[in-house]
Order: sequence, then C-alpha cells, then structure tokens
Amino acid sequence: MSARLVPPGARELPALTELRLEVRAFLAEQVAAGAFVPHVDTWLTRWDRDFTRELGRRGWLGMVIPTAYGGQGRTYLERFVVTEELLVVGAPVAAHWIAERQIGPSLLRYGTEEQKQAFLPGISRGEVVFGIGMSEPDSGSDLASVRTRAERVDGGWRLTGTKLWTSGAHEADAFFALARSAPLDPAHRHDGLSQFIVDLRAPGVTIRPIISMGGDHHFNEVHLDGVLIPDDRVLGEVGEGWAQVTSELAHERSGPERVLSTFQLLAAAAQAMDDGRLPTDPGLGRHVARVAALHHMSFAVSTALESAEHGADADTAAAVVKVLGTTGEGDIADYVDTLTATGWALDEELDTLLHAAILQRPGFTLRGGTNEILRGVIARGLGMR
Amino acid sequence: MTDRPAWRGLADPTTPDPDLVAVLTELFTDYRSARPTPTAVVDLDRRLWQRLEDLGLTRLTGSETAGGSGGGWVDAAALLGLAAAAAAPVPLAEHDVLGGWLLEAARLPNDGGLRTVCRPDPSGVALNVTWARDASRIVALWEDRDQWRVSDVTVDRVGIEERRNLAGEPSDTVEFDLDDLEAGTVVAHEIGEQFHLRGALARSAQVVGAMERVVEVVLEHVRERQQFGRPIGRFQAVQHLVSDIACETALARAATDAAVARAAASDWRDPGMLFAVGVAKSCVGHAASVVVRGSHQVLGAIGTTLEHELHTLTRPILARRSEYGSLQDWDETLTALASSAGRDRLWSLITTGRAKAHRTT
Ligand SMILES: Cc1cc2nc3c(=O)[nH]c(=O)nc-3n(C[C@H](O)[C@H](O)[C@H](O)COP(=O)(O)OP(=O)(O)OC[C@H]3O[C@@H](n4cnc5c(N)ncnc54)[C@H](O)[C@@H]3O)c2cc1C
Repeated sequence: MSARLVPPGARELPALTELRLEVRAFLAEQVAAGAFVPHVDTWLTRWDRDFTRELGRRGWLGMVIPTAYGGQGRTYLERFVVTEELLVVGAPVAAHWIAERQIGPSLLRYGTEEQKQAFLPGISRGEVVFGIGMSEPDSGSDLASVRTRAERVDGGWRLTGTKLWTSGAHEADAFFALARSAPLDPAHRHDGLSQFIVDLRAPGVTIRPIISMGGDHHFNEVHLDGVLIPDDRVLGEVGEGWAQVTSELAHERSGPERVLSTFQLLAAAAQAMDDGRLPTDPGLGRHVARVAALHHMSFAVSTALESAEHGADADTAAAVVKVLGTTGEGDIADYVDTLTATGWALDEELDTLLHAAILQRPGFTLRGGTNEILRGVIARGLGMR
Repeated sequence: MTDRPAWRGLADPTTPDPDLVAVLTELFTDYRSARPTPTAVVDLDRRLWQRLEDLGLTRLTGSETAGGSGGGWVDAAALLGLAAAAAAPVPLAEHDVLGGWLLEAARLPNDGGLRTVCRPDPSGVALNVTWARDASRIVALWEDRDQWRVSDVTVDRVGIEERRNLAGEPSDTVEFDLDDLEAGTVVAHEIGEQFHLRGALARSAQVVGAMERVVEVVLEHVRERQQFGRPIGRFQAVQHLVSDIACETALARAATDAAVARAAASDWRDPGMLFAVGVAKSCVGHAASVVVRGSHQVLGAIGTTLEHELHTLTRPILARRSEYGSLQDWDETLTALASSAGRDRLWSLITTGRAKAHRTT
C-alpha cells in the first residue's frame, strides 16, 4: 500500500456544524457592529484584549482544557472549527492565540498541578497572555543550539541570554523559555535543555521592540539578565526540554492559521471579481480549490489527533499542511498583486488587505519552522532520512 | 455503547471497506508482478477483465437487482485508484461507474457485456471515446432539444475510427446513426448534468491512485540509486523534490476523498457537488504538473525509457486530467462560483459547497 502522509478524510457532522454556525453568526454581528475591521494575519498582528475576553466568556477559549481548570472540556475538533471561523473573518485574535494554541496543551501535558491551577483558568478566560521564547540571535532553524543558560541557584535557576523574534512579548505576561541547563554534549545535542515559565515583568527582563518591514511592531528582542526562576516555574522535567518543545511545536504547526492568514484578501478578491473591479481569472478558482482541500486535510488531521489512531503520524501530517498552507497563503498575496495595476485605486479595502498581506508574506514560510526544515520532516516521514 | 468517545458525534471518517481493499491490493499486486514489460501502446487486458468480472468488480456500483454488487462511491473510488496505480488497462470507469449507472438511470437492461460511454455531439459524433473498439456496446448520452437521452448501441451500428490517447490507450472517434440516438430513453435532467461530474470525479480518483504509485516508485528509486557514493535520497535537493511530490499528491487525495465522501453521503444529491468535484479536479490537475515533472526529474534518464514503469503512470495521469473538462475549465467554474459567492459567502462555499449556509439538522 502507498505511504500515507495524511490520515484519511472525515466528514463534519451536524453537531459540529451547529457550533460553526453559532460562532459565524456571532462574528458577523461583531463585524456589522464595527467591533473590529477584518484584516489579514490577525493571529499575529491584531491584539484586542476585550474581544479575547469576550470569546472567553462565550466558552470559545480553552476549549480543550478540562473544566476543573476553568476550560470547556471539549474536543480538539470543536476547537478546530472555532479557530477556523475566527481566522476566516479576520478577527483580532493575537492576544490569546499562543496561550490558547500551545501553552495550554503544554501545561496540561507537562505542568504541575499548581502550575495548571495558576495559569489555565486565566488562559481560558483570555486574561493570561503568553509568548514563545524559542529563537535566539544564533539559533533559528537549529533550535537545539540555543545559548540561553540556566544556572542552578538556591531555590531555582538564573536565566541569562537573549531571545529573539518573540511575537507579542511587549503585550504578554509570560513566555516559555528554552534554555541550556547542562553543558552542551556535542554527541547528544538535544540533551541538557529545559523549559522555564518566565514572568516577563520580572526583574532582569528587558524587552526591546523590533520593527517589521512594514513599520509595525509585532516582535521583540527579550534580554534575560540573570532572571530568577523559582523551582516551581520549571516546566516539566529538567533536561527534557527538547522532547517538550517538539510536542509544543506539533500544536504550533498543525492549526488552520497555517492556511488562512490571507483568507480575507482572497474573499475580497472574489468580491472584486464579481463587482468587475478585478478581471475574472481562473487563478481565483485554483486558490479557492487549494484552500478547500487544505480545509479537508487539516480537518482529517484534527480527527486523527482526536481519535489518536494516527497520533504518531501527526507530526508529518502537520508538516504537510504547513508547507502547503503557508505556501498557498503567500501565493494568494502574490496572485492578487499580479492582477492589480499601479494606479489602480478603486478599492481601498482590497488595497489595504493586499499591502498588509504582501508585507507579512515572507514570515509565513519562516515562523514555526521554515518550509525547508519541514520538507526535511516530511522526507523523514517518507523514510528518506 | 456508553464509552463512545465524544468526537464520534462530530466527525465521520470515510474509508473504503477494508476487506475490499485487501482483495484489490492482492489482485493488483499479482497483476503487476506477472505483466509483461511496458509497451508504448496499451490494449485492453481481457484476462484481467475476466478476473475482475469473476469477483463482481466490473459491476461494483450496479444495484444488486440490476446484477451489480451494490457498492458505493467510496468503494468505487478505491477500486479506480488501485487499478490506476497498477496501470491496469481495463475500462472500470467507463463500463461500470458511468455506463452502468446511465443504463440503470434509463432503466435499460445490462447484459454485463463490456461497455464504454460517451456524449456524442448534435451530429452524432463523439471524440476520444476510450476503449470503444473493445466494447460490445456503447452507452451514449445525447442532448436532444433540452432533453437528455440514453441509448445502448451495439458496436456494429456505429462507425469507429481508431485513435490513441497520450497514454497509448484506445481513444476512438465514434460516429452514431442519429436514429439510434433519437430512439434513446429520455432521462431526468440531473442525469445529464451529473454525468460530467461523475466522469470528472472518476478521473480524479484514477489520477490520484496513479500519483500515489508514482510516490512509491520515486521512494524505491531514491533508496536504491547511488551517486557520489550514497543513495540519492540522502541529498537534500532530492528530499525536497520528493517531499513536494508527496505533498501535492496528499492534497489531491484530500480533495478527491472529500468529494467522494460527499457524493456517497448524499447519493450525488448534495447541491455542493459541483464545487466539491471542481475542487478535486483542480487540485488533482495542478498536482499532476508537480508530480509528473518532479518524478521524471528524480528518476533521471532511466525514467524516460519504455521499459520503465514510470511512464505507465505519468502518461495516464496527464491523459486523464484533461478528460471531463480541462483544468482551465474547472478553475473557471470554481472562479465563477467563488466570485458569485463574494466576500461574505466564500467561506460558506468552501465548507459546504454552497454559497448560503444551511443547518444540516
Ligand atoms: C513573523 C515571525 C514571528 C516569529 N515569532 C517567533 C516567536 O514568537 N518566538 C520565537 O521563538 N521565534 C519566532 N520567530 C522565529 C522563527 O521561528 C524563525 O525565524 C525560524 O525558526 C527560522 O530561523 P531564522 O529566521 O533564524 O532563519 P535560519 O535558520 O537562519 O534560516 C535561514 C534560511 O536558511 C534555511 N536553512 C537553515 N537551516 C537549513 C537546513 N538545515 N537545511 C536547509 N535549509 C536551511 C532556512 O530554511 C531559511 O530559508 C518568528 C519569525 C517570524 C518571521
């Protein structure tokens, strides 16, 4: 039989569609009321703490967190349809995205009882905001080479080093920092790494903005100067940071935000073609088809994660979705750009979305692991490495 | 069952009957191991056809009352895909999935004799009719002044000009006697409309099956072929080519399976079928470009030879992606659906195939 990279497809059943339509109706009301202006790449660039808290009140955050920790105790499939609906309408979801997507599940898996009690209810209410402290100036794709040091001190650890490209650190309460807690053994590079829960307001933390090429401030440099981490803020096991971060990345990579960052632009282009403001072109159909197929594919991955029958394969499947999805969402930006001529300014809305999409596009295929790295993951899944 | 997990009420995984898949896998593995070296022209394999017939597989989707095996589209797509992966020269799509279905729709008798299917133009001519020269009868769907008619015409009543398609298969020009077409049974309008969709989806299932076999052929090759003292699969450039082939194939598979599942769940009545089939045809067609180009690149010169298996897959992939509408036609259809859905309904179109959301309760 053929090497199957992605689990078999599944049909969405009416109970799930009900939830989808409930979220969709709420979001349509919000747009109509002017609560937010739909945009592209909102899961990284649009912060709205009030909106996030409102989602928490409606039970659409912390969906997979058990009720005992303030969550909804629902399934990954339900979370999946809620996140899809939020993304396609271009809602401002950056404030909760990281905490909700990967910090919650990591805490559930590796956190102590006290840590779960301390963070999960706030994450589910949309009040506790997290960032990701993985990358560094000299450690991008080669994440195991991180140099941030964790030194054992009385009652805890001291962290020293620089984290880079930390999205939203200037707004966040905390991040998980990956640091070297034991000297590098070149024969076992993945050993000796640990994860720490760092309070970004703690003494010794300095956050400096890094301005993106469009002039906006989304990510940061976070300098850690001997920041004291009490023992009860170590995540999981000391020395097991690599396994933990790999499991966190599986959550980071597999979601619909890897397909839908430019959906609002695609939708606006469809409208512009209907109105005659853009030339009718079969490229629209091609992109719509790919988005539709990726919607089915990521639903299949979610179903498999839920049923756990294919759990072991989900890393490869997530890489497939992310390579295809991030390439496609960037191609949509470029495609719409090729349809518009300079001097064409008939549509403010489309113009705004297009420019933002083009400026955000280079990041799509980098963040969360570059597509070159992910092709390597896929090649491994195919048995080539 | 009390411990039925919650997700069971939310999602329904769609997979073909595992017993059928086991039978088919064995059958086509046998076939592959025993077949002669590839040829440039491909003729019907009557022995294989007989074997398939003995197993009830040539009438898989026919209703049991009409002498079929009562299989659904999910199983039929598995059969088409596995047969295509084995490059089996048998008219399963034409005979059963399309021809057999049309005969049943028209309540015409089916003696089980080998059939192909076509849609002649107003003058009674049909181009590129696969396997016409091998058929005992040809099922014709003909549009006659706003009505669709189905005729089951014996080959001795038609003129056949023998031609071959890109895959080297019989793909003949057939000329009917207009009297035979005019005498056809009138069928419901949906039948005429569905024929094109069913043909397009059957072709998609075949192309995906062939592409999955291409991925296997490529993986076998990159493990065995050595250059610079190591298997070429060790080179990152090769890994990335193969990864792209596999990703496009997986996307085409996801799109095709989704359309097949929708067809099976609604017996083709779901109003979202046009969109679903279009998505499959578009993703399959674009994947074909990447898969054919990339696989020939990875295989090197050996992959361009007659004796190698690769062209027995890549030629049919390209031949079939242009049947039942070109890639461009389908992208245009999707463009029309997407632009008329407009900004606010595009997502509804993508999730349901319709521009207007419907509660499915
Ligand atoms: C918008 C954005 C937001 C981000 N947010 C965060 C965040 O919140 N937290 C965080 O920790 N990080 C974040 N990142 C960082 C991101 O994870 C890194 O950019 C990514 O891992 C790549 O690292 P790099 O940029 O250093 O590139 P490099 O690793 O230097 O790579 C440069 C190029 O070389 C290629 N390359 C490298 N190694 C190989 C190899 N072995 N084989 C083939 N090609 C290779 C890469 O694919 C790439 O094309 C963010 C990045 C972006 C763009």
